[in-house]
Amino acid sequence: MILTVGFIVNPIAGMGGRVGLKGTDNVVEEAKRKGAKPVSPFKAREAIKEYVEKYNDDIRWVTCSGIMGENILRENGIKSVEVIYNVTSRDTSAKDTKNACKLFVEYPVDLIVFCGGDGTARDITSIVGTRIPILGIPSGVKMHSGVFAINPRIAARVIHEFANHKLTVGDVEIMDLDEEKYRQGEWNIKLFGIAKGIVEPIYVQVGKMSFESIPEDDIKDELAEYIEDEMKDNPEYVYFFGSGSTIDYIARKLGLSNTLLGIDAVYRGKTIAQDLDEKGILDILDRYPKAKLILSPIGAQGFILGRGNLQISPKVIRKIGIDNIIVVATPSKLAATPLIRIDTGDKEIDKLFAMKEQMLVIIGYRLMRVVKIQTNNI
Amino acid sequence: MREMTEFLGREYEEMEKQGLTWVIKSLNGPSQPHVEVEGKKCIMLASNNYLNLANHPKLREAAIKAIEKYGAGAGSDWSIAGTMDIHMELYKKIAEFKGTEDAVTFQTGFAANAGLIPQLAGKGDLLISDELNHGSIIDGVRLSKAERAVYPHSDMGALEKVLEEANKKDYRRVIILTDGVFSMDGDIAKMDEIHKLAEEYRAMIYVDDAHGEGVLGDGHGIGRHFDLEKEIHFQIGTFSKAFGSFGGMLAGSSDLIKFAYNKSRTWLLSAAFPPHVAAANIAALEVVEKEKDRVKRLWDNTKYFKKEIESLGYDTGNSQTPIVPTIVGDSKKAKQLAEKLYEEGIFALAIVYPMVARDKARIRNQMNADFNREDLDTILNVYEKLGKELKIV
Repeated sequence: MILTVGFIVNPIAGMGGRVGLKGTDNVVEEAKRKGAKPVSPFKAREAIKEYVEKYNDDIRWVTCSGIMGENILRENGIKSVEVIYNVTSRDTSAKDTKNACKLFVEYPVDLIVFCGGDGTARDITSIVGTRIPILGIPSGVKMHSGVFAINPRIAARVIHEFANHKLTVGDVEIMDLDEEKYRQGEWNIKLFGIAKGIVEPIYVQVGKMSFESIPEDDIKDELAEYIEDEMKDNPEYVYFFGSGSTIDYIARKLGLSNTLLGIDAVYRGKTIAQDLDEKGILDILDRYPKAKLILSPIGAQGFILGRGNLQISPKVIRKIGIDNIIVVATPSKLAATPLIRIDTGDKEIDKLFAMKEQMLVIIGYRLMRVVKIQTNNI
Repeated sequence: MREMTEFLGREYEEMEKQGLTWVIKSLNGPSQPHVEVEGKKCIMLASNNYLNLANHPKLREAAIKAIEKYGAGAGSDWSIAGTMDIHMELYKKIAEFKGTEDAVTFQTGFAANAGLIPQLAGKGDLLISDELNHGSIIDGVRLSKAERAVYPHSDMGALEKVLEEANKKDYRRVIILTDGVFSMDGDIAKMDEIHKLAEEYRAMIYVDDAHGEGVLGDGHGIGRHFDLEKEIHFQIGTFSKAFGSFGGMLAGSSDLIKFAYNKSRTWLLSAAFPPHVAAANIAALEVVEKEKDRVKRLWDNTKYFKKEIESLGYDTGNSQTPIVPTIVGDSKKAKQLAEKLYEEGIFALAIVYPMVARDKARIRNQMNADFNREDLDTILNVYEKLGKELKIV
C-alpha cells in the first residue's frame, strides 16, 4: 500500500528566534519589523531535497498551495502532489494550519509531515489529536515536543523508514511555552497534550537473527504491573503520579482516574487528589510523610523534571527525597532520548542529581536499565 | 473464529517477505578451515571451531572407542539411570581444567543458563546483566522472579551505580551476569573490575565463557586469564565451540554442583549425553592441555588478520579476541558483502540490525588455529577487492 503523507510548512515558524523573541506566536509583525527572515522554507526544502535524492519511495503527497507546501514538493520534482487546501492570504496563520489539518483528517492521510516548531505542533494536534501520526521537520524557536526529528536530513530518513515499516507509531508529548506565565515574566514549558509520533520499534529476539517488534502498550502494561506491585509492597506510601503519556497509561491501566497533564496523588490504590499544584502537593506531604514520585521523560529532550511539571517544585522534591523518585520509560522513549534530563531551577537539587550521574529507569516488569543523567550543573 | 495451524505458514511467509528467515547452508563434510558448503569449496570464517578440534583425530578416536564400549545412547536422564562412569570422568576432568572444586555438564550452554539462573535468584533478589549478554542469559534471567537491572555494555560506572542503588534496598542476593567474550564484538568482559566491584558490594559473579574457552588463559578460559578461577562463583561454558565437540558445562564449588543436580530443571529432566560425546569432550580438554601450540597459533592468526584487515581500512570495532568483526555500516551492505564473500569462496556471516546498531552492521570473522598464511592472505585479498567494489574502504 502506498503511503499518503500530508505535508505542511508553517512559513513563519522560527522567525522569532534570530531577533530574540521566544517564538513567533502572535508576534509575527514584531518579528518582521525587527528584520526576521523566514527559516522554515529552507529547512523544509533541505528535508525534501534529501528525501528525493536519497530515498524517493512511492509516496502520495497531499499538501497546501504555494509556500505552505506545494512549492517545495514541486521544485524537488515530486509528481504525485495533490493540493487540498488553498492558502488565500499572503500572510499565513495558525488558522490555515488548522484548516489544512481538518482536510488531512478527512482525506485521510497516513502521516502528517510538518515544518515548524512547538506552536505548529500544538496547532496540528489540536485538530488531529492522536488519530494521525505527526513528524516535525525542526524549524521553530522552541522544539520541546516529542514529534521532531533531530534535523531536516534525519526527518527525510524517518519518512523513508516509516514508509518501509522500519519505524512505528507511539505516544509523544506536545509541549510549548506557557504564554500566560511568560507574559508574567516566567519561563515555563507546559505539557499541552499527547500526539502520535514516529518511534523506534521495541524488538525482542525470537530466532538467531529474527526479531519481533512488540507493541509499546505491552511494555506499558508491564510498567503498570510493576507499579502495582510497588504500591502493594509499600502500602504506607502515598504515590504521586507525574504527567505525560506513559504515566497516564499506567494510571488508567490500574483503574485510576488520572490527569494527563497534571500531578495526582494515590494512596492505598485510590486516587486521593487530582491535578495538584505545588501547594496541594505540599499539603498532602504534610499529611502523608512517606511519599514516592513516579516520573517519566516527557517531550523531545528526555526531561523528567523542569519541563511540563513545575508544580513539582524544589521544595516538593526535597520533601519527597530524590531516592523516592521512580522513573519509568518505554525502551522506544529511551531510544529517542538516551539521557534523563533534569532542570529543577534549584542548584542544590540539580547537583544532587548530577552527583548521581546515572539512575535506574524502570523499562519493564521488574526490569531496570542504567541511564545517564544530565543537569545544568554539568 | 478461533485460529488453527494456518498461522504457522502465514507468519513464516511474513518473515520471508521481510527477509528475516534463516537460510540454512549445509556442509558436505567435516567442519574445518576448508569446507564444502552446498557443493562449493570455501574457507570457513563463520564457525566457532577456533582450535580446529571438531575433526581432530584424538576426538574422533575417543568417540569411536566410547561407542564400542558404551553404545550409542545413555538410556535415561542423568538424574535417573543415564549417568555412566565416563560422564563422571568428564565432570572431574572439567573441574581440573577449570581449577574449580567440581563440575557438571548440560545438554547445551543454553540449557545451563535457562535451567540454572532462575534457580539462583528469585523474589527479593537482583540480577544485574550486561546489555550485550547472550540470549540464553537473557532468557534465564527472564525466567527468574528476581528484579533485573541492565547496564550499558561493559560500563563499570553504570554497574557500580546499580550496586550502589542495590545497597539502598535489602536484596537477599545480588548476582552480576556477563559473557566472558562478547560474541558480536569479540571484546573481553572486564572481569578484574567486575570482581573488585562484586567484592566491594557483596555480589556474586556468573560468567558464560562460551567464546573465551580454548581462547583465553592458555585455553582454560576467562578465569585463568584474570587469575580468578576460584573467585568466579558460577562458570558456564560449552564444548560446542573451541573444544570442537558438543554440550554445555557448569564449573564451581561442590555445593553449586550439588545444588544444580537437584534444582536445575533442564538438567534433571533431560537425557544424558550419548557416551561418545562425553568421551570426545574429555579428549578435547586433553588435546588443549597437550598441544599448547594450538592456542598460540590461533592468536598468531588473529593478530596477523586483525593487523592486515585494519591496514586495508576496515573497522574492527573493539575486538580483542579471534572474533574480528569488519564493521561496514548499514545492514544491506553487510548482507551484500557476505554474499559476495561466499561467491569468492569465503563462508562468513553478516550480523545486522537489530542484532547490532543500525550503522554497525558487520561481518563476523572468526579465526582458526589451523588457517595457514596462504588462507589468511586469500581472505585479505578478497576483502581488499570487495571493500573497493562496495565502497567500504
